[in-house]
Amino acid sequence: MSLGIALVAVLLIALGAGWLGFSRARGMRAAGRLHSLPVYHGTHAALWAALPALLILAAWAPVQSSLVNQSILASPEGRALPAFDMQREAIIAEATDIAHGRLQQGYNPQSTALAPRIRSAEQRYALLGGLAAIAIGIGAAGLALRRSTPQFRARTGVERWLMVLLFAASLIAILTTLGILLSLMFESLRFFRLVPLQSFLFGLEWSPQTAIRADQAGSSGAFGAIPLLWGTFFIGAIIAMIVAIPLGLMSAIYLTQYAPPRLRSWLKPILEILAGVPTVVYGYFAALTVAPAVRDFGMMIGISSASSESALAAGLVMGIMIIPFISSMADDSIAAVPQAMRDGSLALGATTSETIRKVLLPSALPGVMGGILLAVSRAIGETMIVVMAAGLAANLTLNPFHSVTTVTTQIVQLLTGDQEFDSAKTLAAFALGLALFLITLFLNLIALRIVRRYREQYE
Amino acid sequence: MSSAAPSRWTGDAMIRRVRRRYAAERWFKLLGLGAVGLSVLFLAFLLVTIAAKGIGGIDWALLTGSDSVDPARAGVWGALEGSFLTIFVTMALAFPVGVLAAVYLEEFAPQNRWTDAIEVSINNLAAVPSIIFGLLGLAVFLNVMNLPRSAPLVGGLTLALMTMPVIVIAGRNAIKTVPPSIRDAALGVGASKMQVTFHHVLPLSLPGILTGTIIGMARALGETAPLLMIGMRAFIAAPPGGITQPATVLPVQIFLWSDEVDRGFVEKTSAAIIVLLLFMLAMNGLAIYLRNRFERRW
Repeated sequence: MSLGIALVAVLLIALGAGWLGFSRARGMRAAGRLHSLPVYHGTHAALWAALPALLILAAWAPVQSSLVNQSILASPEGRALPAFDMQREAIIAEATDIAHGRLQQGYNPQSTALAPRIRSAEQRYALLGGLAAIAIGIGAAGLALRRSTPQFRARTGVERWLMVLLFAASLIAILTTLGILLSLMFESLRFFRLVPLQSFLFGLEWSPQTAIRADQAGSSGAFGAIPLLWGTFFIGAIIAMIVAIPLGLMSAIYLTQYAPPRLRSWLKPILEILAGVPTVVYGYFAALTVAPAVRDFGMMIGISSASSESALAAGLVMGIMIIPFISSMADDSIAAVPQAMRDGSLALGATTSETIRKVLLPSALPGVMGGILLAVSRAIGETMIVVMAAGLAANLTLNPFHSVTTVTTQIVQLLTGDQEFDSAKTLAAFALGLALFLITLFLNLIALRIVRRYREQYE
Repeated sequence: MSSAAPSRWTGDAMIRRVRRRYAAERWFKLLGLGAVGLSVLFLAFLLVTIAAKGIGGIDWALLTGSDSVDPARAGVWGALEGSFLTIFVTMALAFPVGVLAAVYLEEFAPQNRWTDAIEVSINNLAAVPSIIFGLLGLAVFLNVMNLPRSAPLVGGLTLALMTMPVIVIAGRNAIKTVPPSIRDAALGVGASKMQVTFHHVLPLSLPGILTGTIIGMARALGETAPLLMIGMRAFIAAPPGGITQPATVLPVQIFLWSDEVDRGFVEKTSAAIIVLLLFMLAMNGLAIYLRNRFERRW
């Protein structure tokens, strides 16, 4: 018996308990007025039958896999396995595949020998956990059904369960945040055991290739994050914003203040499409069309070292990607300025553009600033454009025609090769991820606070 | 006095001044139009470039084939199926959890620090870079929970965590627009708080929630970076058989093909982008339609 069968059995028990509760309550109607509708009696019984049993199954699944693992390692075939972790894991994974019928034959004879062990151990433990879950399901259903009398407040019971469900759903967000923080911190701590914190934070050189042989030259593995942070900042917060802020802001002003409603109803969805284009498409476009054009332009104005993976190309395309974002944030902020302020300025004889520049923008400024901070946070976390269009060379340069690299590019680069998980290279990706998370968290919190305070001001 | 001397308000200096101000006004308006025009022009340029490169690559082999080393036989069907499976997992997890969380925060949550913490973390999660979710998926789903690598299950889980905050925020805004009179009326005839919420408030806010959900799903469909982190970039020559089988998704397929040096793959990449953009357009169009058709102004 597998846990899947136990799951189906539990669901069937719940269905049966629900039906039983429903029909019993219907029968009780003759005896007197019910407190709750029969459907609540049914749901109550079904929930009691299902939820505790499902919880047990969910808790049992990881316990079972570790128990199975222990039992096969203790078996004679298991003791014959190599002691080295990676090899052993690979054989066990292969044996599990054979045991589940996904593979006919392993590449390694040991895994074929191990497969029956895994199958029997899994069956044994699944039987144990499955039977426990089914027993608890039946017991809880019986208890719930026994309470079903005309006075029984089944609806309250159901609603209490619903409340638990609602609360649990809202907890997922906190758990995700905690999960991100803990997993990044855990791996980063392991990284900082290999590479000291200050050489990561203040190091000016980034070349993560560690030597495969001791006598190899030039691959000592330097993990200084400064060039990456500079590249990220240069592309995301400088070049992209030089493109996106004027265009986005002016678009928002035109759309909210000047455009006739018909034109606006056409232009807004078009900008929304611009926001919906997947970043991989932008990246492809940047690499294939924009980057060569930028290089040729650089050559034309006499920069002979213009790279085909220039910071300018990636930044330009990223700026275009951010335009709709800034435009919609600015749109919201301008719309939040009270109409009376605008009317007052116009009534004094100011032209529309004077009203916008002297009244609307200054009062919308906090909201616009918040939007820009959020845009910066999005730009520095953007991955695909820089992976496809920016380079891998970690340069500390101010020349936009040169190649720079970014935090996200390096994370992808470090994690998409085939290497063991514990090397400084892969762990460095998590340290970079932690740095990226903290920077964007900081920007987001400030931006959200500014936007919220600004909104309260005019409400 | 028939012909008055020019007053302060009609003098030459004043006329010049007004003319200058009106000129500035026109320039400003033109600048705005130029900014919008430039953005639209860029979109048009992007679409035309991709279409010109890729329209010839759309044929039966592209739509039915899977990845292949031979560009003539490579197709997107395998990746598309991987995308569908991944989005299915994302939808099945993120939609119910997101809606329930939105209902809790909007209708039931007490005003306290705990609720504040939930709110801050949801607002922040909506702005966390997607690649961070990929790192989370790698560390938790693959390394701790030992789920199968490259599988739509893990991809869907990762994207669900990313999409959930978007759905919660859209859901809360939709629930907020339901006027209190509806709640009062239902409470007045004796419904419980839970019945008010699930029988009246939630159905009335469903169009808004669905609009937000579809937009979130479209974003998840176009997402590449987190899926690279959890290994959905392997060369897979057959469509996936289930949510635990190795698979790739359409945006990742585009990324992989864009790295190929073979000329044939340039056309394939652009053709695959056209397919992806069509799906995105369809989803966004559906969201806009839903918003216009069903959203009520109270």
